[in-house]
Amino acid sequence: MERKNRFYFAGVAAIFGVMLAVGLRTTLHPEGRDTRDIWELRADLTKEQKLEQRLLEELESYEETLRRYRREHEAGGATELEATVAKLREEAGLTEVRGSGLVLTIAPFSAAGYVGPAVAAVSPELLQRLVNELNKYGAKEIAIDGERLTNRTAIRDVNGATKVGSRSVRLPVEVRAIADDADKLYSGLAVSPIRDDFAVENLELSISKPQPLVVIPPAASRPDVKYMETENGGKEEK
Amino acid sequence: MWLPLLGLLLGFAIGVLAGWEVPDEYSHYLSIAILAAFDTLIGGWRAHLQRTYDETVFITGFFFNIVLAATLTFLGVHLGVDLYLAAVFAFGVRLFQNIAIIRRLWLAEWAKRRYNREKS
Repeated sequence: MERKNRFYFAGVAAIFGVMLAVGLRTTLHPEGRDTRDIWELRADLTKEQKLEQRLLEELESYEETLRRYRREHEAGGATELEATVAKLREEAGLTEVRGSGLVLTIAPFSAAGYVGPAVAAVSPELLQRLVNELNKYGAKEIAIDGERLTNRTAIRDVNGATKVGSRSVRLPVEVRAIADDADKLYSGLAVSPIRDDFAVENLELSISKPQPLVVIPPAASRPDVKYMETENGGKEEK
Repeated sequence: MWLPLLGLLLGFAIGVLAGWEVPDEYSHYLSIAILAAFDTLIGGWRAHLQRTYDETVFITGFFFNIVLAATLTFLGVHLGVDLYLAAVFAFGVRLFQNIAIIRRLWLAEWAKRRYNREKS
């Protein structure tokens, strides 16, 4: 190759090099940089430490239970196991719960001079919103129209009727909620816009003063257990 | 032999240091242009080894291929057909052919050298 040709070739190769570099820079985006400042880092650190603390506490409680099981096993008793079953039944919503809380009533609402269709039902969306709001302000147990809300209770529309679990809900609806701090729940609901949301749908949500004793019934149906089997009844694996 | 490599490295360094970036929506064009340029470069190398290198053909080919590939991509984007695949296919096949030829030429040269060494 002549000398001049070589220079041209080198020039073209250089252009190719530039293109390649730019292309690589474009396709291989740099990883997102950590732009947290020291306060955000501290907040995140605190959050993680709290999580760690909580996990450790949980671990400790399980270990304690395990130790008690062992002791009981040696002593030949079963009270600890029964206590655990009772606790689990309580967590699953199979027991009646009493405590301080609120009683909320949802009723049709019509302003003076209102001429329009009367409201016949409360929509599931509105009920879900109310449940979210109650949970937000610390409600522990909730029952809608006598139906206990558990983790598996569905609030849905079935052919135009609002159902909570397996029960059809008709106006007026009574919602009971138990909280550790009923006053906080009350004041939270008092400032929450949830009453306006009900008013938009021509419903009135009245909230009682905190009551020292609110009774929430147990869940009517036992949850279906599909994927668990008892040890004796289970199929034996080869 | 070393001058083109030096040029390539120099260009690459300039590209990296300059810190240019192409907007995301044009990265397709750049990729296809890079493929076209690479094909032409390898083609030029093969031509050099076969002693059929022509400067005018090489340089016009370099720019023409880049522009053509980018145009095809542009057309494809606007017609809704992935026309850039045509360019990818054509350049890809040619790349493999050219590299195969270069490999054979090297092999032949290596065999010849060994033969000469054994003879002497």
